[in-house]
Amino acid sequence: MTLRASGLGRRFGKHWALARVDLEVAAGEVVLLAGANGSGKTTLLRLVAGLVRPTKGTVSICGIDPQRQPLESRRKLSMISHQAYLYPRLTALETTRIWARLLGLPASDVDLLPMLEEVGLGGRHNESVAGFSAGMKKRLAFIRTRLEKPRLVLLDEPFSALDAAGRRMVEGWIDGFRRSGTSVLLASHTLARAARLADRGILLQQGQVAWRGKAEEVAARLEAASA
Amino acid sequence: MSTLHPGAAPATTTAATSGAPAPDDPAARSTTSFFATMLTQTLIVLRKDLLLEWRSRSRLVSVVLFGVVTLLLFSFAVGPDVRALREGTAGFLVLALLLSSTLGLAESFRLEQEQDAVEGLLLLPIEPVALFYGKALGNTIFLSLLAPILIPVALVLYSVEPAWSDFLRLFGLWLLTAAGLSAPGTLYSAMTSQLRSQDVLLPLLLFPLVVPVLLGAVKALDLVLTGDAMGQLGSWTIMLLAFNLIYWSLCGIVFPRAIEAS
Amino acid sequence: MIERLKWHHFVGLLGLAIVVAGTWIGLFVAPAERHMGDVMRIMYVHVPSAWSALLCFTFVFVAAVASLWTSRKRWDAYMTGGIEVGCVLTALLLVQGSIWARATWGVWWDWDVRLTTSLVMLLLFCGVLALRSFIEEANRRATWSAIAAIVAFVDVPLVYFCVRWWRSLHQIQSSPETVNSAMVLPLRLNAVAFLLIAIWMIAIRARIELARLQAEDAPEPEPLAIEER
Repeated sequence: MTLRASGLGRRFGKHWALARVDLEVAAGEVVLLAGANGSGKTTLLRLVAGLVRPTKGTVSICGIDPQRQPLESRRKLSMISHQAYLYPRLTALETTRIWARLLGLPASDVDLLPMLEEVGLGGRHNESVAGFSAGMKKRLAFIRTRLEKPRLVLLDEPFSALDAAGRRMVEGWIDGFRRSGTSVLLASHTLARAARLADRGILLQQGQVAWRGKAEEVAARLEAASA
Repeated sequence: MSTLHPGAAPATTTAATSGAPAPDDPAARSTTSFFATMLTQTLIVLRKDLLLEWRSRSRLVSVVLFGVVTLLLFSFAVGPDVRALREGTAGFLVLALLLSSTLGLAESFRLEQEQDAVEGLLLLPIEPVALFYGKALGNTIFLSLLAPILIPVALVLYSVEPAWSDFLRLFGLWLLTAAGLSAPGTLYSAMTSQLRSQDVLLPLLLFPLVVPVLLGAVKALDLVLTGDAMGQLGSWTIMLLAFNLIYWSLCGIVFPRAIEAS
Repeated sequence: MIERLKWHHFVGLLGLAIVVAGTWIGLFVAPAERHMGDVMRIMYVHVPSAWSALLCFTFVFVAAVASLWTSRKRWDAYMTGGIEVGCVLTALLLVQGSIWARATWGVWWDWDVRLTTSLVMLLLFCGVLALRSFIEEANRRATWSAIAAIVAFVDVPLVYFCVRWWRSLHQIQSSPETVNSAMVLPLRLNAVAFLLIAIWMIAIRARIELARLQAEDAPEPEPLAIEER
C-alpha cells in the first residue's frame, strides 16, 4: 500500500477542515479527490505531504510515518500544487541544478538540459523563473517530481492555469506515472478530464468522505451533492 | 537518463557530478555518510543563498547605505565632540552592525520563495540542520561584507587612525560578531518570517539575546582601536568565540523543531 | 491532577502567612545595618525576589524541555505560568534594586552586574511572551515559545559572566555579602515565603492556561453517511 490514511483529521481553531478520513492507495493507482471548494481536498493533500500535522489519525507512506521519519517519507512523495515553491531570481536551469544536487543526482548541464527540453523549457533554461507563466512553472515543478522519483505523487489542481497543450501534457504525465507503478492522488475541479485518468474517485464533503466509487461517477455524484 | 519512466531506479551517480550519496542507498546510513550529506547540503544551501544574494545585490548596497546612515546619526547624537566620538567608535560600529543585521536576517527567509517560504523547504529533502548552517553561514558572509565599507567610514567620521596591522584584527572581530549575530538570528528569522510583525519580533527577540556578543565586540574593538595596555584582547576574543560555539550548536539543535510542520 | 486538587491555595496561604511574619521581623525586630541603616531592610524582599525569580526561570527551562519532548499541553501551561511569574518577580527585583541604588549610591541605575543581567533577563523572557502572543496555533505556539525560552535561559548565565567581566574593568560596587545572624531568620523566612507564593501563582496561571487550551478544543464532527460502490 503506497498510501494508507486512517481516521485522519485536522482542526484549525474550532473548525475541523478534515475529519474521519480513511484512504488507501495502491501502487500505480490513480485516485481522484473531488469536492466543492472548502471540502478539504487541499488539506488532505497537505496532510499526506507532511506540510501539516494531523490533529487526529495516522498517515503512512510506503509504511513510513511522516511524523516519525519526516525525511524518509518526504523522499517517497512529490507534490505539485498551485504554489510553485520556486525562486523567482534563479533561472530554470539553476533551479533544476539545485534540486538535482540536493537529491544527490548528476547535476551537470548534460544531465539536466534534456529534462528541460522534454517539458518544453529547453529554449528558456537561462531565463529567470520570475518571468514564467503559471504553466511554465508547473512544467518546471514537474522536473522536480521526475528528479525525486517518488512512489506517490500529489497533484493539487494540476490542470488549472494551463492551456490545451499544457493539459494534454499533464495527462501524459499522469499516464506515465501509472505505467511506472507510481501512485497518484489527484485533486481536481475539472472532473471530466480527471475522471478519465483515474481508477477510483472519492468525494469529500465538509471535510469528510461522502462517497467512494468509480471515477466516472464522481461528476454525477458531485452534482447530486451540491444540488 | 530514462525519460519515459518517472518511477524507474535512480541513475548511477558519478563522483565528479553528484552531490550527496543517493538517499536510498544502504551505504548512506553510516555516520560518515550522514555527515558528508550534511556538509554537502549545507554547501548547496549556502551556494544557493549566495547566488540569490548576488542576483539581488542592490539589496546589499541598500543595507550598506543604511549602515552608513546610522553611523552618521550616531555622530549627530553625540555632537561635534571629537573625543567623545573617538571613544565611542567601537560602540557605534557594533550598533551599526546590529541594526543592519535585522534587515539582512529578516530577509534571509523571505528571499526563499514567493509565498509561505518555509513550506517549500519542507517539501525538499534537505536535512533541517544543513538548512540552518547553510543559511547561518550565508548570513554571516552577508554581514561580513558590510565591514569593508562601514569600518573605514567610521574611522573617517570619528577621526580614528589605527595602525595598518590592526585592520586585519578589526575584520576578524567583525567576522566573529557577525557570526554571533547570525546563529540566533537565523533561528529567529525562520520563526518570525511566518508571523505578522516580523519587523518587531525579530529585533525584540534577538537584541537582548546577543548582549554578550555586543559587549564583547565593543570591548575588543575598543582595545584594538585605542590600545590594549593590559593585554585583554585575547580574553574578549575567547569570550566571543565561546558565545559563538554555544549558539551555533544550540540553535542548530533546536532549529529542526522550529521549521517542522505544525 | 492540577485541575482536581486545590493544593496550591494552601501553599499560597502558607506563603502569605510566612511572608507577613518574615517581613514583620525584618522591619521591626531585626537590627538595622551598621553602615546603611534601615535602607538595608529592603534586602528582605530583594534577595528572596531574586532567588525566586531564578528558580522560576529554571523551572521554565525544565518545562520548556518537557514541552518539546512530550508535546503535552500541561508543560506548555506550566511554562507560561513560570515565565509570567518570573517576569513579575524580575520587574519587582529591578524596582527594589533601583530604590536601593538610589538610597546607597545616589543614582537610580548603576551598571551593576546583577541589575544589568536582571534587566536583560526580563527583556529576554518578555520577548518570549511577546512571541507567544503572535502565534495563534496552539502546537506551534508551544513549540516555538519553548525553543525561545530554552535559548533565553542559556543566555542568562552568559550575560551574567559577560557583564561581570565587563564591569570588572570599572569600579565594582560591593553589596554586603556577610549577613548578621539576626538578619538570617527573616531572610530565610521570606525566601521560603516568596517561593511558596510563586508556586501558588504559577499553579493558578497554569490552570487558567490549561483551561484555555482545552476550551480551544472542539470535538470531531458527526460522521456523514457514506455510500460506497
